[in-house]
Amino acid sequence: MIPTFLGITLLVFTITRFVPGGPIDRLMMEMSMSGSGEAGGGGGSAESSVDLPPGALDSLKEHYHLDKPMIHAYFLWLGDLLTLDLGKSFKYNIPVLELITKRFPVSMYFGLIGFALAYSVCVPLGVAKAIRHGSHFDFGSSFLVFLGYSIPGWALGLLLLLLFGAELEWFPLGGFRSSSWEQLSFFGRIGDQIEHTFLPVIAYAAGSFASLTILMKNSLMENLGQDYIRTAFAKGVPSRRVIFSHALRNSLIPICTGLGHAIGIVMAGSYLIEKVFNIDGIGYLGFTSIMDRDYAVVMGILVINTGLILLGNILSDVLYVLVDPRIRFS
Amino acid sequence: MSTPILELKDCEVHFPVYGGILRHKVATVKAVDGVSLDIHEGETLGLVGESGSGKTTVGRAVINLLRATSPDVHLGGQILYRTREGRQIDLNGLSRREMRPLRAEIQMVFQDPFSSLNPRMTVEQIVSGPIKLHMDLDRNARRNRVHELLEKVGLQSSYASRYPHEFSGGQRQRIGLARALSTNPRIVIADEPVSALDVSVQAQVVNLMEDLQDEFGLTYLFIAHDIGIVYHVSDRIAVMYLGNVVEFGTAEEVFRTSKHPYTRALLSAVPEPDPDGKRPDRIVLEGDIPTPLAKPSGCGFRTRCPIARPECAAARPNFETFSDSHFAACPYTETLNEKGTPHVEPRV
Amino acid sequence: MTQNKPLLEVRNLHTEFHVEKRIAKAVGGVSFDLNAGEVLGIVGESGSGKSVTSLSILRLIPDPPGKITEGEILYGGRDLLKLSYEQMREIRGREIAMIFQEPMTSLNPVFTIEKQVTEPVLLHEKLNRKDAIERAVEVLSAVGIPDARRRLKDYPHQFSGGMRQRVMIAMALICRPAILIADEPTTALDVTIQAQILELMQKLQGEREGSSILLITHDLSVIAEMCDRVIVMYGGLIQEIGTIRDLFGNPLHPYTRGLLASIPREENKGKKLYAIPGNVPSIFDFPSGCKFCSRCEHVQDRCREEAPELRELAKGHLVRCHFAEELS
Repeated sequence: MIPTFLGITLLVFTITRFVPGGPIDRLMMEMSMSGSGEAGGGGGSAESSVDLPPGALDSLKEHYHLDKPMIHAYFLWLGDLLTLDLGKSFKYNIPVLELITKRFPVSMYFGLIGFALAYSVCVPLGVAKAIRHGSHFDFGSSFLVFLGYSIPGWALGLLLLLLFGAELEWFPLGGFRSSSWEQLSFFGRIGDQIEHTFLPVIAYAAGSFASLTILMKNSLMENLGQDYIRTAFAKGVPSRRVIFSHALRNSLIPICTGLGHAIGIVMAGSYLIEKVFNIDGIGYLGFTSIMDRDYAVVMGILVINTGLILLGNILSDVLYVLVDPRIRFS
Repeated sequence: MSTPILELKDCEVHFPVYGGILRHKVATVKAVDGVSLDIHEGETLGLVGESGSGKTTVGRAVINLLRATSPDVHLGGQILYRTREGRQIDLNGLSRREMRPLRAEIQMVFQDPFSSLNPRMTVEQIVSGPIKLHMDLDRNARRNRVHELLEKVGLQSSYASRYPHEFSGGQRQRIGLARALSTNPRIVIADEPVSALDVSVQAQVVNLMEDLQDEFGLTYLFIAHDIGIVYHVSDRIAVMYLGNVVEFGTAEEVFRTSKHPYTRALLSAVPEPDPDGKRPDRIVLEGDIPTPLAKPSGCGFRTRCPIARPECAAARPNFETFSDSHFAACPYTETLNEKGTPHVEPRV
Repeated sequence: MTQNKPLLEVRNLHTEFHVEKRIAKAVGGVSFDLNAGEVLGIVGESGSGKSVTSLSILRLIPDPPGKITEGEILYGGRDLLKLSYEQMREIRGREIAMIFQEPMTSLNPVFTIEKQVTEPVLLHEKLNRKDAIERAVEVLSAVGIPDARRRLKDYPHQFSGGMRQRVMIAMALICRPAILIADEPTTALDVTIQAQILELMQKLQGEREGSSILLITHDLSVIAEMCDRVIVMYGGLIQEIGTIRDLFGNPLHPYTRGLLASIPREENKGKKLYAIPGNVPSIFDFPSGCKFCSRCEHVQDRCREEAPELRELAKGHLVRCHFAEELS
């Protein structure tokens, strides 16, 4: 748990230290470029010959602990973390925590809705497929979920946007809310939010439909072949009840435990989908921070994401104990 | 009597059990808890017991396989193997490399003929595997040896190119025997070799094993839960309960004049294939076999024993000697004899 | 044993499995009666059709791939094979109950013992929960579960194998069925635990007046211990039926004799065991004619050409062999 957390953060911290083109370089490059009035120039022009007073450079380095040995700096960062201080963004020059907390709810909103959508579609679908194993319905639905699986989420998002947004104009072309949000009535706001939510959520969830549906189907089929199912039939239990009580309870065990893992991942957001739908979420922020060498933000997002995944793992374990009486905390 | 080919002295196999959040050791499974046995060249020693008795673990300890599957197992005592040259080697202390040449001499036949043969290998590959490792034969000689072995176990040599799934259970067990014999072993450890087979096929395999023993002068450690089969094939029998040998003697002594209350109960629990042979004096043991995780103190059998006394909890009983070859770990066997087969009110 | 109408009559039962375009005739025309109050054994090896026969009675054959293609199973004046699903469900667990070989996997791991044991009475007798629990405690105590009331909330994994089989028996008997089908009930258990379960089944059978047990096993010794009459099956057909005294004292079929001779006995120590030659064929490969002709030591040309009928050689002692008289 804690070792995992330390391991991941230390690893990324080290990488940020050794990858060429650190934040100071980047900063100086940008300054030099803006100074010479050239925008979008090639990276080759980034020479360190900048008219920055040497003292200022040192104080910058000191501010970001870049003057200290790596391990030392890592522990300083870790110490700051304990006081919930994630540092300041190089780029935006505001506290990282503020940057993240502003965007986090947006990603979480789409993630959780997509996640709920995936589970509420896949569990019944998997059950129906297991019961009608080998039917046309089974093959047809398999085709659809695997189609969703084989198209990347952002590509599907793009397709949906082109078709339903640009062509048919059923849905807006992205964004989290309309710019006229403030002027809308209560119900208008709800409608607006739903319109903006629909396409991104499908793009978020489509990829996970296949694995979750097939997991549900296989799990139920496997359990329907178990000895205790035969016992239930031999007792005269009606077949609906055999399936929906005896077998389903057992086959939900892997689904439930997967839930915890999945939740940590979906809440972390997805850069490409956020980019396509022009949503200012965590995924988008993370990606641009890496491009900008804005390492304080990268580390901050990493902390949040790692924490989420670890929390998800704990949730999984808790769910495991709740659904499977054979597992007990000892 | 000559030096035994195999001698177990206070053999112990303890598996640590890990648990809790920190994965620390929470308990020890004393699968084998001080077993002493000797096996003489050319004999069949039957090892009989129920689940949890440790009989299978004894077999695995002898072929030195336990360290490979559970690295932190505690192996105590000595397993002395007498080589062809008459040297005694303690198998318990051997590294894998030191054990390797001895593997050819001590082979094993497993219970489940369905899972113990690699389904993707032909019979020839299966049987020639150990030959490649242990014998210096060229391709042709190896092939000839495989064909010869298959015929010895009653299979056509043309079967060599087939795969295990094409065979029935009995035929697979024959393949398993051919594989075990491929390196000219001296000792074969047979772990429940017939219990997965159909009744009408069991007798074939038992007979085959006896023929092979006569032909190659093999020594068998025959491990099984079915005391009827064990009695039939064995010269001597050791009865195990919860990691200990409770009785040890010639097949006749153990079967006809058993001294330990557990042996008595075990024998009387076996149904007779004779409608008039129903035993009015059957001892039906109360309760379940304890797990080796929570072994009772003193005598392991005392929680189910019909003649148990308070003293039995104090210390593990020593072996009482009944003849040169007959031992039983129960000091109160006299009371068993007085009462014939005791019938005692159920105790909890 | 009463001599009036049998409790259950199986007539010319055929059950097939369709596996990869091939048809496996698992049961190829089986007829027998189960009388009130008796323990009838079916003994056979793998592929003999004994388990399929027992599952067919309760129509528990998974379909697909299995199918009961022919026959009648008469119980209480009705043909079970013609009942609707709902009518059949009323029979299962209430009139005819079943226990299985694997006590470790035959109970649902995520339900408490209480939920599983009370389920049949809640379903069939519409008892309220409180009465159902009382009945469960009563029947669990009767099968020898110590401290039954306290253990109701336990899950199957908290019981040993022998205890689980007792729970299975309690669950099967809670509706007081007329017939208990026991499919290899002790095969997965240790010998000393098997003795406990067999003793329990005998004790309960003594208490359940007029009810019967159909005991399926591969172990002739268990048959000798438990049964009044026995059916020997091989290749999906009954090869011999008789009282256990008939069968063990005067076996008529070469297969029955082979089985009996191959059991290691005290007096045969040091001698070679008798072994039936050959292997049990795969279900697709049984010969035409007599099913046993590929392994029979007394085989004649007629056996390969003409399938023998089941003939009654003495009262109640039937055998399916052309040459049974000459051989005995």
